[in-house]
Amino acid sequence: MLRACAVRTISLLSMRGEVIVPHRASCWQTREGRSRRRAVCPEPGMEASSPAGLAATDPQLQHFIEVETQKQRFQQLVHQMTELCWEKCMDKPGPKLDSRAETCFVNCVERFIDTSQFILNRLEQTQKSKSAFSESLSD
Amino acid sequence: MAEPGGPDPAVSELQRLVAAEQQRAQFTAQVHNFMDVCWDKCVDKPGSKLDSRTEGCLASCVERFIDTTLSITNRFAQIVQKGGH
Repeated sequence: MLRACAVRTISLLSMRGEVIVPHRASCWQTREGRSRRRAVCPEPGMEASSPAGLAATDPQLQHFIEVETQKQRFQQLVHQMTELCWEKCMDKPGPKLDSRAETCFVNCVERFIDTSQFILNRLEQTQKSKSAFSESLSD
Repeated sequence: MAEPGGPDPAVSELQRLVAAEQQRAQFTAQVHNFMDVCWDKCVDKPGSKLDSRTEGCLASCVERFIDTTLSITNRFAQIVQKGGH
């Protein structure tokens, strides 16, 4: 049950409009001896075999950064949900997590997603009917 | 193909895209704002589905929040007008 819940949580990430943009790693300085203290950026024909080959054009590094960023955002989401649902579902902590609290946590996450979706639709509806809404709220 | 003396169409296209993205981000931020407010007010204990009472409460929450914002904005505008410069 919790696993299905996790899948929905991941869909919440995309629903929140969090676009993961590959981060362009800036060219790093090499510090091999004072004479070579300069920014080294790989030129188009340059091989990535040198130590300074870890630069903006390394797709592996970019992919790694993407993955790490996504992991961080997921963890952030989990922390936020834990905080919210703890308030709603936990009365008094017992010796173990009983099934009622566990069910409540699962419901909590799913209802959160449903609520977000509902509010999104509602806002869209209201925006279409009242055009003055977006003007006043954009201040 | 920029016309001589006229605006570069590529730049204005980019500006349009940026404005659209900004608007989208603003809208998403608004939704989060509403979520924070209305979750506390309307959801006591999460059930197995979103029941009609909670849905009604959420709809009211959104609309009343907008009404409140508008009325406060109007009130401030009135005060500023009466106060003068």
